Amino acid sequence: MRQNNVVAMILAGGRGSRLLDLTKKVAKPAVYFGGKYRIIDFPLSNCANSDISVVGVLTQYESVILNSYVAHDHRWGLDTKDGGVFVLPPMETDANGFNLYRGTADAIAQNIDFLDQMDPDYVLILSGDHIYKMNYDKMLKVHKEKQADATIAVLGVPLKEASRFGIMNTNDEDVIIEFEEKPAKPKSNLASMGIYIFTYKTLRKYLVEDMKKEDSNHDFGKDIIPAYLNDNKKLVAYRFKGYWKDVGTIDSLWEANMDLLDPNNELDLSDSGWKIYTEDVNVLPQYIGENATIDNAYINQGCVVDGTVKNSVIFTNARIAEGAKVIDSVIMPNAVIGKNATVTRCIVAEGVEIKEGVSVGKKDSEHIELVAKKVVE
Amino acid sequence: MSNKVLGIVNFEDPTASVEGLGDYRPIPAFGFLGRYRVIDFVLSNMTNSGISDIQVYCKEKPRSLIEHLGTGQHYNINSKRGNLHILNGEKKPISDVYNHDVNNFMQNMEFIEESDKGYVVVAPSYFIYQIDFGQVLESHINSGDDITLLYKATDNAKEEFIGCETVQFDETKKVIGFEKNRGKYKNRNISLECYIMSRKLFIDLVKRAAATSSLYWFKDILREVINEYTIRGYAVKSYVACINSLKTYFKANMEMANLSNAKTIFKKDWPIHTMTNDSPPTHFYPGCIVKGSAIANGCFIEGTVENSVLCRNVTVKKGAVVKNSVVLPGAYISENAQLDHVVVDKYAIIHHVKKLEGTDDEPVYVKRRDRI
Repeated sequence: MRQNNVVAMILAGGRGSRLLDLTKKVAKPAVYFGGKYRIIDFPLSNCANSDISVVGVLTQYESVILNSYVAHDHRWGLDTKDGGVFVLPPMETDANGFNLYRGTADAIAQNIDFLDQMDPDYVLILSGDHIYKMNYDKMLKVHKEKQADATIAVLGVPLKEASRFGIMNTNDEDVIIEFEEKPAKPKSNLASMGIYIFTYKTLRKYLVEDMKKEDSNHDFGKDIIPAYLNDNKKLVAYRFKGYWKDVGTIDSLWEANMDLLDPNNELDLSDSGWKIYTEDVNVLPQYIGENATIDNAYINQGCVVDGTVKNSVIFTNARIAEGAKVIDSVIMPNAVIGKNATVTRCIVAEGVEIKEGVSVGKKDSEHIELVAKKVVE
Repeated sequence: MSNKVLGIVNFEDPTASVEGLGDYRPIPAFGFLGRYRVIDFVLSNMTNSGISDIQVYCKEKPRSLIEHLGTGQHYNINSKRGNLHILNGEKKPISDVYNHDVNNFMQNMEFIEESDKGYVVVAPSYFIYQIDFGQVLESHINSGDDITLLYKATDNAKEEFIGCETVQFDETKKVIGFEKNRGKYKNRNISLECYIMSRKLFIDLVKRAAATSSLYWFKDILREVINEYTIRGYAVKSYVACINSLKTYFKANMEMANLSNAKTIFKKDWPIHTMTNDSPPTHFYPGCIVKGSAIANGCFIEGTVENSVLCRNVTVKKGAVVKNSVVLPGAYISENAQLDHVVVDKYAIIHHVKKLEGTDDEPVYVKRRDRI
């Protein structure tokens, strides 16, 4: 028997269209972050570190790279005999032909056969879009202790921003009494993080019912949680403290990368007690050349730096040629910054080449520039 | 073709002795160039050549080696159809002089005999180079020779490869003699102690060595049979280093910190596999000065690092200066420490205002977990 009899289901089908060309060929969970990671490394590593051994990954949009990436479950130590990472894309069925996932709840509902086969007591629903470290096992303990039907992780947000989130209103014992999606006048600042633990037996019933409803959005926040509340099921808020970021835009992805340059950043990727695991790329250590200048940077293995790097995050195998200047920027894997080129306040996408002498980005730009195609002049 | 080959990773004889580092682990398990271990090179050469049945013989202190090798999966060895055997020699420690390769092969003879491979590649783990064994095997089979031996021609044998075996050839590259390199001559052919032959011949020679003398190493029996069997040289073109002393360990790291040297071994389509540690990228703090160095992941650099190799999770605090040095994983160089020509072993802590200075010939060695 598995240790805690919980199956994690990571919703990883979203496009993240505000990330523009970064998600043209990959789903948002596969977007690079932090010098060597992809966003989905965070929920996967959290699962591994929380002793969860069965993880389903529900993919849909541009799933070729994502499917093959997560299938290598040994990367996260999830390759145990009775566990693993299971890639769950939409499928063709006898009853309904080929169906896309119509919403977060529908994606889980369409995989009820998978869950039944795994026979868990609890199901942990996660999003593949968020950067944070969290011990789901602690959350599960709370779920069990409080004998909840569902436990929802919540994050305290500034009250003035609360109207952008799904807000949980609770009683003194953190039992949720009301859920409001993007309320104009928020009554609390506890925002749902899209992380749920459900007792599977109950959830299964609700999912089956929800599938049949024509007017449903088939969404956890919009349909399942309200249905639970309506039936007076016990929903508990689990308060999360720590770094959490939804990197939905180019600006916020850039900011999250820049956060790593702060020596006291809360995410602390160097904590050996809660490692974030990722693909092991076979590359040399980084080479810093004789004439390089590096000042405040986060640089991964495989990079060759012969120019200047300031306040920047440089990903695997990027090349910064002599005389080049990279300032306040994020340079993704295999990008090449040519001789005497200048990159300021940019995200340079994977494999993009900035030709010799070319200058991209502006020092005082309002937004971060995404450079997703080869720049010649 | 290489699926016909059993890879045998051998160990070095006692003339290879690395001051300090060698007290804690065998040479194959030495950290090298930031993120590798010395044994990664021979193993990657084998697996990249398509050899998937490999025996690693170890002489002593196998813990760090076993941990690093694991199931062999990260070297691309198939978990079902391939095989990585880690084989120990002595049942009980008798005496150092009996702890040699022939003894080790004899004790594990059943595993060599039950292999279904036609050929063996025998290679020690203390040499660093790049070779495609598939090509060597092809040349070996085409030549009809009994044994093919890898060598490196050097014009600097007075300074380099001291203590290694040199080979004398006739004009057809047939081996006519072996001799230790004592640094007397400039031009020498250095044996990489890597041999390709039929498995049957290998078994015969091992048994013959054991019957001849209980002190014989495999290379001793080869010396005796040069007139009986045709042993021919095969030149290795890549950079070659032999890690047989602290000086050569230091020098090889320094040379590899130069990217153009490293590129002769780290080729496209020829990955050097190793065990990942899942360290985050290296963090360069404001005000740090880093030049001409090879740096692994997980380091924190606030001070100065020049012409050095830093392994993973090394900390260099403000005002500290690390020059021409090799710093192994987890070491901590605190404020204002000055290092020049130093090898700092794992987890050592060097406290402030201490100046340590060695030379190319005699780098200073700081012990594992030492505090200075």
